[in-house]
Amino acid sequence: MSDIEFTDDKLNMFIDGQLDSDEMDAMHDALLDDKALRARVCQLKAIRELVNYAYDSVPVPDADSDQRTVVRNSTIWKSIAASVLIVFGAIAGWAVNDSYHAVKHVASSDDVFQYYKQNASVSTEARKIILHVTTGDIYSVNKALNEAEQLLASYRAAGTPMTLDIVTYKEGINMLRVGVSPYVKRIEDILASNDNVNIYACQRSIEKARAKEGDDAIRFIPETVTAKTAQELISERLEKGWIYIKV
Amino acid sequence: MKKIKNLVVASRLKKDLVERRTKLYRIAFSWCHNASLADDLVQDTMLKAMKNASSLRSYATLDTWLYRILHNSWHDYLRVKGRNVELHDVHDDASPDHVDVFQQRQIVDRVRAAIDQLPMTLREVITLADFAGFSYAEIADIVDIPIGTVMSRLYRARQNLKEKLLDLAGDENMPVKLMRVK
Repeated sequence: MSDIEFTDDKLNMFIDGQLDSDEMDAMHDALLDDKALRARVCQLKAIRELVNYAYDSVPVPDADSDQRTVVRNSTIWKSIAASVLIVFGAIAGWAVNDSYHAVKHVASSDDVFQYYKQNASVSTEARKIILHVTTGDIYSVNKALNEAEQLLASYRAAGTPMTLDIVTYKEGINMLRVGVSPYVKRIEDILASNDNVNIYACQRSIEKARAKEGDDAIRFIPETVTAKTAQELISERLEKGWIYIKV
Repeated sequence: MKKIKNLVVASRLKKDLVERRTKLYRIAFSWCHNASLADDLVQDTMLKAMKNASSLRSYATLDTWLYRILHNSWHDYLRVKGRNVELHDVHDDASPDHVDVFQQRQIVDRVRAAIDQLPMTLREVITLADFAGFSYAEIADIVDIPIGTVMSRLYRARQNLKEKLLDLAGDENMPVKLMRVK
């Protein structure tokens, strides 16, 4: 005869397989004799099965169909794999004596911009930088544009060739939208005075925005390239050794 | 040496993430009930996982590590959007693959609606336990709460669902697999 008290907690632990073997045995024995206990366990199991049932058939977006591939012909995997290479690519591209510690901060635009501004004069090697803007937050985008302008100026002053691709994603595409973004004029000025700057809006993000707001509501700065997803754009560049900065 | 180790981990992780994408997506969906958002959360999770591959201390803990990243991404989203927005704005009608089975669709809708009404803390725990199949200790690690809290949340979640879905559990039209007690 077991002295286990069959509280609801115990019953939950039983159906979740969290009891130790002695308690499991005792529970099995009790279930043989106790109809009410069986009913309680049955209810809990039914709930668990229902939860499982409710989500087991959720259709998973086909990675290939939305161009955000994960399996074959994977662009995101190229991006992901390339993102890992940021660590190594950045190490290779940056000053040798400031390796791992600096790289750990690669996700911070502040640190990276500061680093490049400070080191622009010590290298004559061409720099290729992706600025990945994923937010529509005015403060963040404004700050990123400030930094981008200073970065361009620093490299120009140092005589170091560079290319800057601004890739926008999710709410970040709003910075390039005519009639929405307060930065349109400023971005156009940057483009006009720098041949080495390109702007991109993620195709997938545009589709989502259009589905939400309608086709006519979405207009971009004319120079905006919209043919590819951000994942494709970034992965292509990272594979070629570009430096990635996320804002 | 550290770089080589990181590359090896990244290579293996790539394959393992592909295998886990479906489950990650469905858990994300069970939390947000929005197909597009769930997709974004999973993409973010995968990117973060690859970028931080070197922080995975042991491959034995890969699943809890991944779901912890997903959980953090989800909460980052909630922090930005605010809970009210999440509750009212993120529902959509992801096309089910069982539209031809009306009764099953009704059951699924009812269960999801009941889960949707749970407080988020309970929703996360019950889906991690009942759908993802994590142990209490693993859930505690993913959600970053004590095991006792996992148990109490699971208890409350199941009690809540039992009250809302009890008739369903006893419905003779219920698929057999839902009624069977092993």
